[in-house]
Amino acid sequence: MILAIETSCDDTCAAVVGHDAVVRSSVRSSQDALHATFGGVVPEVASRRHLELAVPVVERALDDAGVALAQIDRVAVTQGPGLIGALLVGVATAKAIAVARQLPLVPVDHLYGHVAALRLAPLRLPAPFACLLVSGGHSLLIDVERYDRLSVLGGTLDDAAGEAFDKGARLLGLPFPGGPQLESLGEGGDPRRFPFPEVLRDRPLELSFSGVKTSLLYRIRDLGDAAEDARADLAASFQAAVVSQLASRARALLAETGRDVLAVVGGVAANGRLREQLGAVCAASGARLALLPASLCVDNAAMIAAAALDREGVTGRELAELDAFARSPLSAR
Amino acid sequence: MLAFDTATSLVSCCLWRDGDVLAERRSAEPRAAQRVLALVEELLAESGVRRDEIDTVGVGTGPGSFTGLRIGIATARGLALGLGVPLGGTGTLDALLAGCAGATAVIDARRGEVFVAGPGREPGVITPAGLAAVLRPGEVLVGDGAVRHREAFAGASIAPDLSPLHAPSAAAIAERAGQLQPVDAVYLRRPDAEPVA
Ligand SMILES: [Zn+2]
Repeated sequence: MILAIETSCDDTCAAVVGHDAVVRSSVRSSQDALHATFGGVVPEVASRRHLELAVPVVERALDDAGVALAQIDRVAVTQGPGLIGALLVGVATAKAIAVARQLPLVPVDHLYGHVAALRLAPLRLPAPFACLLVSGGHSLLIDVERYDRLSVLGGTLDDAAGEAFDKGARLLGLPFPGGPQLESLGEGGDPRRFPFPEVLRDRPLELSFSGVKTSLLYRIRDLGDAAEDARADLAASFQAAVVSQLASRARALLAETGRDVLAVVGGVAANGRLREQLGAVCAASGARLALLPASLCVDNAAMIAAAALDREGVTGRELAELDAFARSPLSAR
Repeated sequence: MLAFDTATSLVSCCLWRDGDVLAERRSAEPRAAQRVLALVEELLAESGVRRDEIDTVGVGTGPGSFTGLRIGIATARGLALGLGVPLGGTGTLDALLAGCAGATAVIDARRGEVFVAGPGREPGVITPAGLAAVLRPGEVLVGDGAVRHREAFAGASIAPDLSPLHAPSAAAIAERAGQLQPVDAVYLRRPDAEPVA
């Protein structure tokens, strides 16, 4: 049984996953309410919170799984990328548990973790496939040849997709984190009322959201007092612009890789409009769309355990000296 | 008992039994806090103590570097959970003072400030110049803040940079760990963030 810890951003997560890829428990203690009072994630506030929550969340994960620490035979932890102070809390906790129990520790790249969530039961998606990783911190177009061999074929030039949603939501006066609220605000709105300019037409594997965000700002300014009544239409139109950009990149990714499965992971993968649009892209490309429940799309520790499934991990001196990293070799392009 | 402090740039760590230090390590290397478990492994190997013989974990609770402090407490809590033993905390300023009777503890607080405590001085944050202005002649200063701002404290007595006096005493933390004082991080400074209206 694998015990995994994930503290790369603002959620303190722990999970227990069997070697059969079945999730026995997955606990996620969200700090959203805390960070809402600051209008965004404050790294020092997040790190302090992780320290208070790390061990209780681990105990809860063991409890939920009905598993004793003595039954754990491997520990996994997010080593990076993310907020370094936040990562270090999870890494120190995981190292100490591994040293105390004399278990191997598997350091996991958070981005590999998001993709590895697709290995978990009941989906157990076999590689190869094409994958869109869209979250508050990342927007990557990935060719997954094997779960331990990812090639990044494209990414964002500025904001991540989730970040774009959060910033758009803030412009519309929605509280942090705005992505899901923007989606519900736009539900009754007309997504065609405010067309947004298409971006990077000649670079089909690159993403950019700063232009869309600026357009939204100007729309709101131009509307003046009328913006208040147009909020639902603005939200729907803005969301449509972000989603259609992601859908066109997904189409290009399928064409580029020739894969017949498109998977989508990361917090933004929970967005209903995106799922719909990607379904249409797959239907047109003759590919299958692989989706996960929202609980495995957002940051969670079960995905970190999944990335540790067939890895032995480090022991001894290497374990005792393991450090976190802020930037992933995968996203450094 | 196993005890350590990683809140300052001088990390200290010891194995302690009934008033005796069985083995001790200090490190002033960069990223010493991240490597504290390597020191623990060395202590176990050197002393021949088995990890299941550790019956209490003691840890310095700060103030100091926010990151170092958190690594120490997270490590201590993880060890206590993994070993199934209790945990006791001691303030890092107290652990420094315990190592040098009558001295004033000065810990680097970054951003041009130090954390300070000692006889007649309540724990607080102050600039080195502010502290220098109120020092008694010949006052003994210990801690990584005293070392880093040595030139600001011209009238004080400060041991050489690598003196063990500048490291929080792991033995003092071990000695108090049995009292199981709560392990609450002492930051002595709020995060740089303003709540939005
Ligand atoms: Zn993530």
